[in-house]
Amino acid sequence: MTDQAQEIAQLDRVIHEPARLTIMLILDGVSEADFLYLQREGGFTQGNLSGHLTKLEDAGYVEIEKKFKGKVPLTLCRLTGEGKAAFAGYSQRMMGVLKGNGSAG
Amino acid sequence: MTQQTISYGRRAATYWFVDGLPELLFGLMLVVFGGLAILWRVDGPEYWRRFDFAIFFAGIILYGGLERRVLDFLKLRFTYPRTGYVQPPEEEEWRGETMTTLPLRHRPPVRENVTSFHLRTELPIVFVAFLWSSDWQSGWSEIGRWYAPLATLALAMALYALNRKSEHPYRWWSALILALAGLVFLWVDVPGPFRHPLPLLLAGAWLSAQGAYTLIHYLRTNPLPRTAEGVRA
Repeated sequence: MTDQAQEIAQLDRVIHEPARLTIMLILDGVSEADFLYLQREGGFTQGNLSGHLTKLEDAGYVEIEKKFKGKVPLTLCRLTGEGKAAFAGYSQRMMGVLKGNGSAG
Repeated sequence: MTQQTISYGRRAATYWFVDGLPELLFGLMLVVFGGLAILWRVDGPEYWRRFDFAIFFAGIILYGGLERRVLDFLKLRFTYPRTGYVQPPEEEEWRGETMTTLPLRHRPPVRENVTSFHLRTELPIVFVAFLWSSDWQSGWSEIGRWYAPLATLALAMALYALNRKSEHPYRWWSALILALAGLVFLWVDVPGPFRHPLPLLLAGAWLSAQGAYTLIHYLRTNPLPRTAEGVRA
């Protein structure tokens, strides 16, 4: 097994799935976002987003908080410290793999 | 990947302006209190007429106190149910004080999206209002009919230049319209005391028009999401 293959095998599979990667990217760029914002930014269906958020929450990467402001319900999502660290690690590893292959500058 | 992350952050930072409400509210305040100041100048008690600018400043103070509450109220009804809520990433703090933005935390940190509107749009306009207020003492604006065109031109240039690299830039042709609107008063003679509120009224109308256009476009392109049962989600 080459070093690159080892690196790829060690990528965090929870994050590596495209939909969850999109969610992590969005949440990494903001302090917090609600369900509807994530759904629109990522182009998800409700069920799809809900499923992926649950997986990220189970992994401890995302925390979800339901709040009411007046009569408006908001489902707020934000990255946890663990989520931020995992995403930073994933990014670093992925960049390393791509750079090693000459695919990223 | 870094580019994409920045892109989402920038999108979140521009989100505060997506509905046009901040501009609409501030613009309406300028028009209403600028108009009230003119009415005061026309109909107020003789001695007190010269303090017409105080009415305008009362409007600014009122706006400063109520802005967040009114915007939160409106955004909760128009924006968040349509396109969701996001708290943009934290930016560099300008000052020691906390300038709050969105309503879900007791003391949210400074956010570039809102502070940029305060610093890059509201502040230059308030500065022009100070020119107005200083005139009753110093009479510096003896430049006569040149006052309104020059002040409006300076305001248009300042708004364009200060916002050029912000999350919410004004288009050059939009700033040009504001500047040209001020130039009209080179030919249309307005009595001396009424010249001072003109740049503020023009800026208010300009901001309101932009905000209203953005709001209408936003509401038309983002209907309230509905569930399969026809109930609002």
